[in-house]
Amino acid sequence: MNCRPATLKSLAACVLSLFLVSTTMAQTSGTPAASKDILIKNAVLLTVTHGKIANGSLYVKNGKIAAFGENVSGPPGVPVIDAGGKYLTPGIVDPHSHMALRDDINEATSPVVPNMRMIDAFDYTDKAIYHALAGGVTSALLPHGSADMIGGQAVVIKTKYGLGRDEMLFPNAPQSIKFASGENPKRVFGTKGQLPSTRMGNFAVQRQALVDAQNYMQEWNAYNDKVKKGDKDAVPPKRDLKLEALADVLQRKMLVQIHCYRADELLNEMAMAKEFNYNLRAFHHALEAYKVADQIAANHVGIATFADWWGYKYEAWDAIPWNAVMCIRKGVTVAIKSDSNDYIRRLNQEAAKTIRYGGATEEEALRMITLNAAWIIGVDDRVGSIDVGKDADLVIWDGYPLSSYGVPEKVYIDGELFFDRTLPGYGTTHYGNTAEAAPVIPVVKEGE
Amino acid sequence: MIRAHKFMTTVLLCAAVAFGQSREAVHTHRNQARTPSTDQAIVLTGGKLLTITHGTIDHGVIVMEGGKIAAVGKAGEVKVPANAKVIDVTGMTVYPGLIDSETHLGLTEIEAEKSTNDLVELSDEIMPQMHVTDAFHAESALIPVTRYNGILNAVVAPATEDTLPGQDAFIQLAGTDATEMLIGRDVAMPLNFDGTQRRNETWATAKYPMTRMGMAAQLRQAFIDAQEYGQRLDDYNKKKAAGDAKAMAPKRDLKLEALLPYLRGQKPVVIGAVEPSDIETAVGLAKEFNLKFILNHLTHCQPILDYVASLKVPVIVGPIYEFPKDEERYDSVYRLPAELQKRGVKIAFASYDAHQSRNLPYAAGYAVAYGLPYDEALKAITINAAEIWGVADKLGSLDVGKTANVVVSNGDPLDVKTDVKHIFVAGQEIPLKDRQTELRDEYSK
Repeated sequence: MNCRPATLKSLAACVLSLFLVSTTMAQTSGTPAASKDILIKNAVLLTVTHGKIANGSLYVKNGKIAAFGENVSGPPGVPVIDAGGKYLTPGIVDPHSHMALRDDINEATSPVVPNMRMIDAFDYTDKAIYHALAGGVTSALLPHGSADMIGGQAVVIKTKYGLGRDEMLFPNAPQSIKFASGENPKRVFGTKGQLPSTRMGNFAVQRQALVDAQNYMQEWNAYNDKVKKGDKDAVPPKRDLKLEALADVLQRKMLVQIHCYRADELLNEMAMAKEFNYNLRAFHHALEAYKVADQIAANHVGIATFADWWGYKYEAWDAIPWNAVMCIRKGVTVAIKSDSNDYIRRLNQEAAKTIRYGGATEEEALRMITLNAAWIIGVDDRVGSIDVGKDADLVIWDGYPLSSYGVPEKVYIDGELFFDRTLPGYGTTHYGNTAEAAPVIPVVKEGE
Repeated sequence: MIRAHKFMTTVLLCAAVAFGQSREAVHTHRNQARTPSTDQAIVLTGGKLLTITHGTIDHGVIVMEGGKIAAVGKAGEVKVPANAKVIDVTGMTVYPGLIDSETHLGLTEIEAEKSTNDLVELSDEIMPQMHVTDAFHAESALIPVTRYNGILNAVVAPATEDTLPGQDAFIQLAGTDATEMLIGRDVAMPLNFDGTQRRNETWATAKYPMTRMGMAAQLRQAFIDAQEYGQRLDDYNKKKAAGDAKAMAPKRDLKLEALLPYLRGQKPVVIGAVEPSDIETAVGLAKEFNLKFILNHLTHCQPILDYVASLKVPVIVGPIYEFPKDEERYDSVYRLPAELQKRGVKIAFASYDAHQSRNLPYAAGYAVAYGLPYDEALKAITINAAEIWGVADKLGSLDVGKTANVVVSNGDPLDVKTDVKHIFVAGQEIPLKDRQTELRDEYSK
C-alpha cells in the first residue's frame, strides 16, 4: 500500500484505511499483525553495521527489528509505510544530555555526591524531550553535571514524549555514574574556599572518596564474614548511601562516565581507574583526546565529544574539530554528544562535520551518534544499529541525514510512531496533537 | 551575546561554565599576515562559479588582479592575462567570501576568562560612544579559524546587555593589522530592546531602568538630549558661518555626539528584539526620532510577520536555533527565515558568536531545510548582507570590479561536509592555517 500523504486530510484517510485494511486482513488471514508491527519499504537503509541498502525494507515485529534487506516483506495485513526512497537510520543516541532535569543538574554542595539519582529530578514533561525527539534522538543518557568530582547516578531514557515517567525509562539500562575533573570542580568549590581548588585537590578528593569506599566495603565484608560464621552479635556497619554507591563503582557494577578535557587529566584518570579497578567507560568532552589517543584506545575507554566546540574556557583552548576522527583512527570508540538542549536537535549535522574534519566515512559519522553512543551508555546490544532483534528505534529522514539539510520526518521508538513532521500541530502522536494546541505559521511549499 | 547567554542557562555547569578565573597569559595567534602582495594576477579555472548576482557558471573562469575581480565568465570567453598564476579548480565550487552580519570576533578570546573579554561596557545602558574599533583584537586566534570556513567579512558588535552598547565595525578577516582589517568603523549602532537590558536581577540590586518602561524612557531622553545638542551645534555653526566672533561652541559631549549621525539618518540603528511587543515599541521609538533602522533577531515575531514586512527594512534573522515558545511547534523558529523571505523581506544571517562564527553557513543551510529557497539562503550570507552594510559595490558577489574576496571549496557552501580549499582576500591567497590546523598537524606526526 502506498501511503504518502500530501495533505492532512489524505493522511487521515490513509491512516484510517490502513486501520481498515489491517482489521480486514486480521479477520481473514488468521495471523494478524500485532498493533506495533509495521513494514517500512522503499527506503535507503543506513544500517551502521551492514552498510547501505538501497531500496530496502524493514519489518518490525513486537517493537523489534525482525527483518531487513532488499526483499523483505511482512505478514499479510501488516501496515506498510512507504518511505518514498527516503533514508532510514537507527534512532540517534545522545550519551550526554541534561535535558528534563530542570535546574537540578548539580548538587554542588559537596564534591562527592554519588548518592544523587538523576531519576529524582527527571521531568518527563520537559519540552526539551519533544525537541530532541523531533531531531531524531530516541535514547539519551542524562548524567549529573560537572560541578562535583564524583557526581550522581545517571538515568537513561527513551524519548517517548507524551508518555509517563516510567514508560520513558530505558528498561534495564546499565547504571552510569558521572565523575568530573578539571576546571569546574576546582572553581565551584575553590570559590567557596573549600577543597578542591586545584587539580591536586581534585584528584585528592576523588582518591579519598574511593579509599573511603574501599574501607566501607571491608567493614561490610568483615560483618558478612561474621554473620556467615554464625556470630549472632555481629553489628552491621551503618549504611552510607554515598559509600554504597561507590562500592558499586569499585565492584564494577556501574559505568563511570568522566567529564575530562585535558590530555594530562585523561591520563591521570585512566591511572586512577586502574588503581581502583573501576569500569571507566568513557571520557566526556575529551577535547584533548587526540593528544593521547593511543593510550585511550589501549585502555578501551570511549570518548563522547563535541564536533567543533572550542575556546569557551581555558581547558577547551586546544580543542580541534579533527579530534573525533583522529581518535577513531587510533582505535578509540568515539561518540558525538550534545550536552545541550539546542544541539541535541541536530546531532546528525554535528556528526556530518566529522566527514569534513578528518574524512570520516558516512558509516563512521553515523556510528558516532548511534552505535558508539549506545556502547558508551552500555545499551549497544539493544539500540544503535539496524540489526535483527534490536529495538525498532528508527528515523525516516527528509533529505540526507549527514548534511545541513537532513531533518527527521518520522521517528519510531520500539516500533511505535512518536513523531511525524507531516502531522499538524506538534507533529507528535502521544502529546497534544491538535492544530489548535500548536499554533504554527503556514508551511512554505517548495517552489513558492 | 544573546546566544551565548541563553546557551549558558541551558547547559548549566556542564561543559561550558567557568567564571572568574583570571589567567596571566592567554595564547594568541599571530598569523594574520597576508602572503606578500604581488601584482601577478590570479586566475581560477574550471570551477563552478556561484556568482550570486548572475547565476551559476559551470567550468567558469575568474580573474583576480590588483585586489579586484577583473573578469568572470565561461572558459574561452574570458581573457586570461599573460603571466597570470593559473589555479585549476576543476570540480570545485567558487563563491564570494561569506559575510556574517553579527559576531563578537576580536572582542573575546576565551569566553570564561574575563581578562580576554571586551564585549560590553556594563556601567551604563546608553553607551553610543563605545567604539568596537577601539577594542578589536586583530591577532585573535578566532579570526583565522572563522576564515577557514570561507567567512571573509563580518560585522563586529558589542554584546547585548546595554540598550545602546556602542557602535559596530565591519571587518575583513585578514590583514596585516587592525587598520587593514577594520574596513568600516562605526558602521551601525545596535539598539537592543529584548528585556535583558533591564537592571532587575534582584530587588536589592535593581536600578534604573528595571523595566521596559524605564528602558524606553531612558532611550527617549538620550535621543532628545542628542537632538538638543545637535541643535546647539547647528546654531553655533550658523552663527560662526555668519561671522559671529562671540559664538560659543557647546561643550563637547562624546555620548551625544555619537548619536548625531543616527539622528540624521546617516547610519542605521540595528534594532534587536525578540517579542512582537518589543519590536513595536522599539520601532515606535525609531520612527519618533526618524532613525534609519534595520531589524535583528525577531525570534518570536511569527504573529506579526506581515507588519514586519510592511516596514520595508532588512532583517537579520536568528539565531534560528533559539527555542520556540512552549506552546509552539518545534520548527517555528527554524521556519522564520522562509516566512520572512516569502513576504518579500530582505534577510541576512548572523552567527551572533565568535568561536562558532565559522558555522554561519550551516544555519543558512538549515533554513533551506525548513523552506527557504537555496539561492535566497546563499544571498543572505553574501549580497544581502553586503547591501545591508552598504558595501554591495565592493562585496557579496562575483562581479567585475568588486574586491576579490573569493572562496574555493569542494562543494556546496551551505553543507557541513564541505571543505574549503582556497581563500583569497583582496586577490591574495591566504594560507589555510590557524591554531587548530597547527595542533592537528603537530599531533598527526
